[in-house]
Amino acid sequence: MTTTAVLAQAQQRLSNAELLADDPLWLTLIKVVVLFIVVMLTLALLVWAERRVLGRLQNRPGPNRAGPFGMLQSIADALKLSLKEDIRPARADKWVYIMAPIIGGIPPFLAMAVMPFGGEVTMFGVQTALQVVDLPVGVLVVLACSSVGVYSIVLAGWSSGSPYPLLGALRSAAQVISYEIAMGLSIVGVVLFAGSLSTADIAAAQSGGWFAWILPISFVIYLISMVGETNRAPFDLPEAESELVGGFHTEYTSLKFLMFFLAEYANMVVVSAFATTLFLGGGAVPWPLSAIADNALSSGYWPLLWFGLKTALLIFGFIWARAALPRLRYDQFMKFGWKVLVPLNLVWIVAVTALRVLRNAEGVTSGQRIVIIGVAVAVLVLGSLLLPGRQVADEEPQVPLAGSGYPLPPLDLTVPTPPRQRRTVRARAEQPREAVTASGKEAGDGNA
Amino acid sequence: MTVLEAAHTSLGGFLAQVTPIQAPEIDYAAILPMLIVLGAACVGVLFEAFLPRYQRWSWQVALTLLTLVGAGLALVVYLRDNPQQGVVTLAGVLSVDRPALFLWGTLLVLAFGAVLLIADRSVEPGGAFVSHAAVRPGTIQDRAQAARLGMQTEVFPLTLFALGGMMVFCASNNLLTMFIALEVLSLPLYLMCGLARRRRLLSQEAAVKYFLLGAFASAFFLYGVALLYGYANSVRLRDIAEAAAGTNRSDTLLYAGLGLLVVGLLFKASVGPFHAWTPDVYQGAPTPVTAFMAACTKVAAFGGILRVLTGAFQATSWEWRGVLWGVAIVSMIIGAVLGLTQTDIKRMIAYSSVAHAGFLLVGSIALTGEGLSGTLFYLLAYGFTTVAAFGVVSLVRTADGEATHLSQWAGLAKRSPLVAGVFTFLLLALAGIPLTSGFIGKFVVFSAALKDGMAPLVVVALLASAVAAFFYLRVVVLMYFSEPSPEGPTVSVPGSFTMVAITLGTVITFVLGVWPAFVLDWAGAGGFAFSTT
Amino acid sequence: MLDPYVPLVLMFVLATAFSAVSVLVAPLIGPRRYNRAKLDSYECGIEPSPQPIVGGGRTPVAYYLTAMLFILFDIEMVFLYPFAVTADALGLFGLVEIALFIATVGFAYAYVWRRGGLDWN
Repeated sequence: MTTTAVLAQAQQRLSNAELLADDPLWLTLIKVVVLFIVVMLTLALLVWAERRVLGRLQNRPGPNRAGPFGMLQSIADALKLSLKEDIRPARADKWVYIMAPIIGGIPPFLAMAVMPFGGEVTMFGVQTALQVVDLPVGVLVVLACSSVGVYSIVLAGWSSGSPYPLLGALRSAAQVISYEIAMGLSIVGVVLFAGSLSTADIAAAQSGGWFAWILPISFVIYLISMVGETNRAPFDLPEAESELVGGFHTEYTSLKFLMFFLAEYANMVVVSAFATTLFLGGGAVPWPLSAIADNALSSGYWPLLWFGLKTALLIFGFIWARAALPRLRYDQFMKFGWKVLVPLNLVWIVAVTALRVLRNAEGVTSGQRIVIIGVAVAVLVLGSLLLPGRQVADEEPQVPLAGSGYPLPPLDLTVPTPPRQRRTVRARAEQPREAVTASGKEAGDGNA
Repeated sequence: MTVLEAAHTSLGGFLAQVTPIQAPEIDYAAILPMLIVLGAACVGVLFEAFLPRYQRWSWQVALTLLTLVGAGLALVVYLRDNPQQGVVTLAGVLSVDRPALFLWGTLLVLAFGAVLLIADRSVEPGGAFVSHAAVRPGTIQDRAQAARLGMQTEVFPLTLFALGGMMVFCASNNLLTMFIALEVLSLPLYLMCGLARRRRLLSQEAAVKYFLLGAFASAFFLYGVALLYGYANSVRLRDIAEAAAGTNRSDTLLYAGLGLLVVGLLFKASVGPFHAWTPDVYQGAPTPVTAFMAACTKVAAFGGILRVLTGAFQATSWEWRGVLWGVAIVSMIIGAVLGLTQTDIKRMIAYSSVAHAGFLLVGSIALTGEGLSGTLFYLLAYGFTTVAAFGVVSLVRTADGEATHLSQWAGLAKRSPLVAGVFTFLLLALAGIPLTSGFIGKFVVFSAALKDGMAPLVVVALLASAVAAFFYLRVVVLMYFSEPSPEGPTVSVPGSFTMVAITLGTVITFVLGVWPAFVLDWAGAGGFAFSTT
Repeated sequence: MLDPYVPLVLMFVLATAFSAVSVLVAPLIGPRRYNRAKLDSYECGIEPSPQPIVGGGRTPVAYYLTAMLFILFDIEMVFLYPFAVTADALGLFGLVEIALFIATVGFAYAYVWRRGGLDWN
């Protein structure tokens, strides 16, 4: 795209916020409902698509019975789930247990409302934009929604009154907030270049070059942290089936479980759509096609297609990662988040800011710029060499700790048998030896 | 480089429209002492992170003492050519005027004494602090670490952070900055209270109590700030004063805001009915930390009270003065009467500090030049006496640690006449006997109050001093005229650090009692400066 | 002209209605067959632990540490956004200030790192 085209466009086009300001209430209502339905349909399609793609990646067909290519599979699943028994465990905290899935289901839809699907269009004779609402703090709305999602997880785990969900919830919360830091920091670079927190402005600011190219490190960090943020493989530790049964939603059944399921997939869509907005130019048409007819494919309803395609591509990445990568260990995962992504992000932010200041500075020749950048890089490299690689050795002798400051019992500790059990043991000892076999014990467990 | 190029081409068009924001003027020479202290605190954190454990103590002590000396030098250099009116810098947020400089100097010198006590490792082998404060009291790990020599060297950066917060607190011209400074000075103190090597449970209890009540006080302060902002549409002291001077806005907001704000400040200064934390925290905290808190926090808190009352509420003083009269009286009576009933020496000094807070408040609400200089002098004098007194308390020990019960002090003069003599002198200073700094302090404060027409208050204050003198003298009598019990405490021979701290405190207490003119001149050298913009 | 937040409120109402109706309607349309084992908490078939972690139990301290770190960095983030919006206008002054700010948080970060606050085991 040439500079003149950008300038011409900038002059003739109203910003999304200005366009949306004059929306009548009925139009807003239509948009909200349509967006809601579209997101729901996307979710249904997404669940099916994930299972199909996963199947193909694992050399098996995937669901192919319900409807053409099994496309109605998700609908069938939803119907089945809604007709299942709704169980609330006896130890659960009633109202929190019910509130948790409700809280989880709301924020993804709110976040979708600020996504800039496209620019100016005429809808039912009204000039408006392909976006439900454009706020000057749109980015913060999305981040706030993802934070509120954590409440749903924590409350669900806590209110279930059961150890596995609680552990899963704690892990999940720790993970989500850890990766939220990385995610939030990776957006700072984008805001720096766009000079605005409005999602539409950010998308518009990429008309000359996507931020994915300009800020590659931010983009990569965002991609990684969005997988961690949504608790998806290979970062799906909170629901690691082999360790924690099902994570925070172990005790949920029926439609309540469906809400968590739905929220997880909706969050995938949200973070992918957000990535499209922030780094992939929003609804703008990709490069070779943008040359056609003076960028005509970026106007009207066309952006919906591009936005959808880009988002779909990112979601495909999610599924691909799930099929290809093994799950990380929890310590590796937290270490990666806190010790790699966060510091890298901070250094990157300072570097980008410095480059911008240097570029804006008047009276600095390009030779001087290169020298300054070279010196800065040299200082950084030298500084990183100075960092000692290992922990400070703790010279003081330590009394053995069992995690939380309690003394360890000796390994050869003999536990005295409680009286009631002693009686059973005696009774068993009086029986013939063969009666107490391993198989008999297992059978007993199976009946219980 | 491709990144840069791409960015260049893509956003070249937008840049021309940006109008630069002017950076605020910063008078670096004026705020250098503060910058040194806060910067050194950061360096101290890095020391903790990167030095091996056996080197930390020596590096931290060296850094902390050098910092205090360096900040003091910077202050002295700046004092030689600072303007009479003071400097308002950092976009009107800080005002470095004569009272602020006096308070900074006081804080630095008092902190020097307290840091010497903190750094001492001869009285209590390994120092007065634990090596792992998070270990549960009473477990075998806890008993094991009491016998080991390590200590948690984080105390030093924490002290510097608290000190930096105090310096900002008494120079801030803006209630929000004041709140931040309040937090910066409080949070390290909460933590330091829980680090005592002996009587861990008591120490942790003190930390939690101080933290919870301190959090309440901070909330009060912040709520007051919010209401005042609602009243004046600004958090600057000058703007609030102007709004209060001549408008018909809602007085409810003003007085509710003032009330809440002052409650927060009085809490920090452990005045009157807001003193509930003081005895428990003074008793539970490690004695060097108690010394630091008692001396420096009081200086900072009264610095803040003076500045807020003078800067923002002088015009409305008729409305609130009666209330603060009452608070001062309550504080003096509580301190004097409850002090009488105490059997623990640290709690007794805590109640004495409540009584002293009442006396200080008498000077603070005078709102005259004499009131200001008198209060400043009183703070300096009281701070030195307290640091030295807590230094002496840390010397009298049994096998279990410090012997703080009064009965254990019986007949101390027969065991160690020198320590008993020094402590007697310090108690007399706290009581306000002539030839000590305490007398001069009370004299200047009360005479300022008299001149400002607060005679009834001064009468109450004199009565309270007389009652308070009784419990100081009781300790003196106990030390000199009782028989020592055979299994009583021993008096440790202090190492050089504690020795210097006690000597410094005692000598200055004496010097200020004999020749106070120099310091009085300095304290009265100028008034507060408030931003005019 | 509508308040700019009205569409967001509408979306909130719609999403809340959907979630609440689905969750609250679930007990009505599903079957109900009482079984004591169903109402116990699920622990892979073994007897539920007599004292579940909920209430009275303890949570590993590492989680609290992570929460504190989150707050620290979240606040850093909150300050970085307004800075990023006005970075061009602030120029060199802004760069120095933000570098100092990040460095200050960096000291605490280095301390936590070296003391093992970021290690899980």
